[in-house]
Amino acid sequence: MVERIKAELGATLKETPVGEADYRERGYHLFAEVASADLLNVARFFDERGFYLAALICVDYKEYLELVYIFSNHASLCKVKITLKIDPAKPVAPTISTVFDCAYWHEREIREFFGVSFDGHPNMTYLFLHEGIDFYPLRKEKIPVSDEDKKALGAFRPGEGEDTFFVNLGPQHPSTHGVLRVVLKMDGEYIEDAQPVLGYLHRMHEKMAENRSYLQFLPNTGRMDYLGPMAFNLGYVTAVERLCGIPVPDRANYVRVILTELNRLSSHLMWLGAYLADLGALTPFLFVFDDREEINDILEPVTGSRLTYCYFRFGGLYNDVDDAFVAGTRAFIERLRSRFSLYEKLVGGNVIFTNRTRGIGVITKERARKQAVSGPVLRGAGIPMDIRKSEPCAAYGEMDFDVPVGTRGDALDMYQVRIREMENALNIIEQALARLPEGPIMTEKAPRKLKPPKGDLYHTVETPRGELGIYIVSDESDKPYRMKWRVPSFSNLMIFPELAKGNLLADAVAILGSLDLVIPEIDR
Amino acid sequence: MGVEAAATASLQEVINWARKNSVWPVTFGLACCALEMMVASSSTYDIARFGAEVFRPSPRQADLMIVAGTVTKKMAPMLKRIYEQMPEPKWVIAYGSCACSGGIFQTYNVVQGVDQIIPVDVYVPGCPPRPEGLLKGIITLQQKIAAEPAGQRNLVSLPWGNNG
Ligand code: SF4
Repeated sequence: MVERIKAELGATLKETPVGEADYRERGYHLFAEVASADLLNVARFFDERGFYLAALICVDYKEYLELVYIFSNHASLCKVKITLKIDPAKPVAPTISTVFDCAYWHEREIREFFGVSFDGHPNMTYLFLHEGIDFYPLRKEKIPVSDEDKKALGAFRPGEGEDTFFVNLGPQHPSTHGVLRVVLKMDGEYIEDAQPVLGYLHRMHEKMAENRSYLQFLPNTGRMDYLGPMAFNLGYVTAVERLCGIPVPDRANYVRVILTELNRLSSHLMWLGAYLADLGALTPFLFVFDDREEINDILEPVTGSRLTYCYFRFGGLYNDVDDAFVAGTRAFIERLRSRFSLYEKLVGGNVIFTNRTRGIGVITKERARKQAVSGPVLRGAGIPMDIRKSEPCAAYGEMDFDVPVGTRGDALDMYQVRIREMENALNIIEQALARLPEGPIMTEKAPRKLKPPKGDLYHTVETPRGELGIYIVSDESDKPYRMKWRVPSFSNLMIFPELAKGNLLADAVAILGSLDLVIPEIDR
Repeated sequence: MGVEAAATASLQEVINWARKNSVWPVTFGLACCALEMMVASSSTYDIARFGAEVFRPSPRQADLMIVAGTVTKKMAPMLKRIYEQMPEPKWVIAYGSCACSGGIFQTYNVVQGVDQIIPVDVYVPGCPPRPEGLLKGIITLQQKIAAEPAGQRNLVSLPWGNNG
């Protein structure tokens, strides 16, 4: 696959060479720098071959700005990095949102944070920020936002049509699970248009990363996705280990898998409770919190915290697990297995629930690819893609589990996929416990002060919500030069407007819930 | 103490007792801390023991705002508005380091403590604080309410009252 794409891309690009990168070091196979006139052609090239736009990143190298497009593939492992240099004095690039719909959101993000505008983009207005911020936060120098730019960015003013009116869902609304705001254009009870407005929890983790050493940034990762902090920890430490070439002992790898899966369980349980509470069923909420507390009781003595874990370290773990942990986890597996039949009776077999969720929010495979959704949402749409399988980190490569997929792509499928994923997680934990090797939990080769070699890396892991991509640029200093988080909830939210269109307002809440969003992670 | 003063004093006690045992919080989860707030209302921690389990989605029906999470500059105007929509008497608990002081986020978009925009009665530090922390916060608030002297607030919120 990589060979074929290299040859074909080379033929399309003609003059520009296509380079081959060391996948283990860089996280992508091929790279090429294109001119802005070629960009749309390149995007179409990848579109025709079934790729999706995994991430769109901007990096400020002072002399020039660089746009980085990561194209990836659901069917086989082949990642391509396309870069485009732009002049900081006249930061304009062509939009590719006409080819890949998800670029629509990424480009708006870059417009606000870097001041790069995209030619042909239909709606270059504020998504995260607001008029009160008068500089481009992610630029290396302080560049003021000019008054014209502010006016253009703030141009989003919902106007009313003749038969339509606007409803603000959020930012303080119980069913948005935090502070998401969606502006709904309603025609009676039906939704005509839905536009998410983000940034109500924008805390700027990415800029904080540029001002901290690699280790100092570790606590931030747990605070991005507070339901699945372990997976974010895992993604970050494995990314830095990959960048610096730090080995990890076997025992640590196994413990990482166990803890990440326990956390996945607690995240999916939380989703189940909150989703049903959205739909009006409060009883499951109390049941799942009971189970979640069991997980917290297992994790707390080991990790030292109940929620925003910060347990993995570069080259190993903070603390070893003991026999009480192993026994407690085994007991919990038994307990949760017996609870599944209860949930099946309470939820899965409940006609009110199934009728409420069947057939709404249907995602087709094609739309899932164009919008670059990931995780259970992607699998619910019928694409068997799991990064734990395709790019296993820690000890995932040695685990045996299947990838559940949906058949209809509706909200009910998302529910079933998540339930089966929970069963899988239990199996994975059981396998890892059975094979848990003895030995050290921390490598001796970890340097005290981390100074990764110059270069970049795009590293992905599977979080409870989907593909987390971490793009790190190192300039050989002890702080990252740029760190971009491609977060799963942001990508999954992008598909919401088209799912909501034409539906009842009450169904929009059911669709939004089926996507399982965590707002601090979207806003970063 | 005259008879009248004694009567108002004991009436105040009765009112304080009633107020302190039925503080209804407005649902106001912002970030990670909100999850621990939800846990506090689940069966394990059972916030209902303190009469505070009735989380109201509408500020009109609430007496307590638990600010659980990071307040950003984009959110601050909404937060203030919701606070103003709550009828008197009302109280605020700043739950978590972010709400108390901005926490680990010293960035351009984070309000460095919710007390910069609304008055706070009880601070519960931690990142996130344990659910027990919230319960302790509520108990502290109850003690504070019980000690409120007569005349500090309007007894009844009437439309022509000055803080009704
Ligand atoms: S105090 Fe900590 S846990 Fe609470 S909202 Fe802030 S970062 Fe999250």
